[in-house]
Amino acid sequence: MKRNDIIAGGIFIALGIFIFTQTIHYPSPLEKGHPGPGLFPNLLALLFIGFGLALILKAWKLISAEAEIVPGPKRIANALFVLAIVAVYVGVVNFVGFLITSAVLLFLLMKKLGVTILKSAIASIIITLFINLMFSKILRVPLPWGIFGW
Amino acid sequence: MNPKVILVIIISAIYGLFVGAIPGLTATMAAALLIPFTFFMDPVPALVSIVTMSAMAIFAGDIPAALVRIPGTPSSAAYTQDSFELTKQGKGEMVLGVDVVFSAIGGLMGAVILMTSAPLLAEIAFKFTSFEYFWLAAMGLSATVMVSRGSQVKGALSMILGLYFSTVGVDITLGYPRFTFGVVELLNGVNFIPAMIGLFGVSEVIRSVMQGELAYPIARVRAEKIFSGMFKMFKRYKVNVLRSGLLGTFIGILPGAGADIAAWIAYAVSKRSSKEPEKYGAGSIEAIVDSGTANNACLAGDWVPALVFGIPGDSITAIVIGVLFMKGLRPGPMIFETQPEIVYAVYLSFILANLLMIPFGYLAIKASSQMLRVPRNILMPGILMFSVVGSFAINNTVFDVGVMLVMGIIGYFLEANGFPVAPVVLGIVLGPIVEKNFMMSMIKTDWDVTQFFTRPVSAILCIVTLFIWSFPLFAALLEKTKKKNNQ
Repeated sequence: MKRNDIIAGGIFIALGIFIFTQTIHYPSPLEKGHPGPGLFPNLLALLFIGFGLALILKAWKLISAEAEIVPGPKRIANALFVLAIVAVYVGVVNFVGFLITSAVLLFLLMKKLGVTILKSAIASIIITLFINLMFSKILRVPLPWGIFGW
Repeated sequence: MNPKVILVIIISAIYGLFVGAIPGLTATMAAALLIPFTFFMDPVPALVSIVTMSAMAIFAGDIPAALVRIPGTPSSAAYTQDSFELTKQGKGEMVLGVDVVFSAIGGLMGAVILMTSAPLLAEIAFKFTSFEYFWLAAMGLSATVMVSRGSQVKGALSMILGLYFSTVGVDITLGYPRFTFGVVELLNGVNFIPAMIGLFGVSEVIRSVMQGELAYPIARVRAEKIFSGMFKMFKRYKVNVLRSGLLGTFIGILPGAGADIAAWIAYAVSKRSSKEPEKYGAGSIEAIVDSGTANNACLAGDWVPALVFGIPGDSITAIVIGVLFMKGLRPGPMIFETQPEIVYAVYLSFILANLLMIPFGYLAIKASSQMLRVPRNILMPGILMFSVVGSFAINNTVFDVGVMLVMGIIGYFLEANGFPVAPVVLGIVLGPIVEKNFMMSMIKTDWDVTQFFTRPVSAILCIVTLFIWSFPLFAALLEKTKKKNNQ
């Protein structure tokens, strides 16, 4: 955790500094120069920097960093695949429609995680129809139907 | 109580039992995934659903603890070792019996305390003004950090991050847009529901696909035998039950401390006062009685500050309060007069859920080996799909799916580096309460800060908050003197 904690501390400190750069432009209300919209964010920025430093100092003092478990490239690829597939989903769902896009997303993801083709196909169709039933039929949420109307 | 509500109770119970029993799926995640549904329901069935689901999930977390040595939710982690050791000794039926029966008893005790203390506290809360609410929220934030497991510095950073998210959008004094970077969708702030689904649902999916399939041997038990000897057990440990029920509820009432903390503290207290402390960790049924009672009692306690002050007692009530705000309902003393049906719905569902826990718990234990064999590589894509559609459904915009994804990534990295995620939610919910009440108080008094310390109730709350802040200092001093005395 040692190295990661130092990096995390650095990120939080950077976030604190970033907040300061933003709040400089905030208007001050009332003629008397009382604090306004910037007060609370500035306080948070100070806390980010303070606790970020504390985290770095604490991590620095740790003598032996325990062996850090780094997930293998295949695992990381899985995670990136999840993010990418949702991004693509968002991009095409309005055009292609909810039913097809959802079933395809589920199928591809299950396949990627090592489920057999037949099982993936059956499971993805069942889950899609179930979600459709819950949201569209019972809760009456309008889902994107796309150019085919389904 | 109409048939529709009863159906909601049954479905929520089954959902809670399933999610609780599957390791890695927590009660908070279950609540986050449930909100898109409850959002479209009336307030009463929505609250009934969340209460029932959470009570069942916290119990069901005990099942894999006993059968595969993995806690189903963090609330069962304290006594997982003891549960599994006893199962190895062939006493699995007894462990699961204790889990069901004492979870229900703990839950009922918590419910009774909730029903008696909340109306009394509401009387007091009527006199509260923005000064007192500021201190209450500050107290909640402090308690959240103090009780976070592991590093308190990390707990604090998680909470500050949550507070920061809450500042996004137009500010309350001048209506000035903060941290929106010109994005129109952010003017109303980070959308709460997609953020919750991301933090608790998507982050878990990411973690799970990086872990790969887990295969674990599942111990076998005969569900028919779980209730034998339970009456004797109750008679033997009635003092423990009373103590842990009270302790658990009290920890619940503390803003920010949830059922997992209650279980750990009850475990420690139990060990200290036990006649057989050597058994703790090697299979102590007393430990399971104590912490199993405490974590379910805590759930009801969590609702006391939530209903009375609108200050969440844990991450689940934080989610509930966030959703109630979105629906224009403000929890607080007023709802005891204006919308008593909401308060009674919470009371009644705690009583019902804990009574139903006995038969439903029995069925869940009977079905446990099937539930534990549900393949993750099918379940996780399903959860992802629910998360996407749920986030989309609230406002019908794909922007919210983006919010969910970003929060999912943040949640994953926090958790992977030992930062607790629950304080983020408490920060998001408490942030506006702290800021709004502070600014309102200041504008009312033309920036006379002394009012925060001179009003009588304010002064008391201030002292309590300062006491919480100084607690780690005291603990460190105590540790030092102890060491000196030992030398």
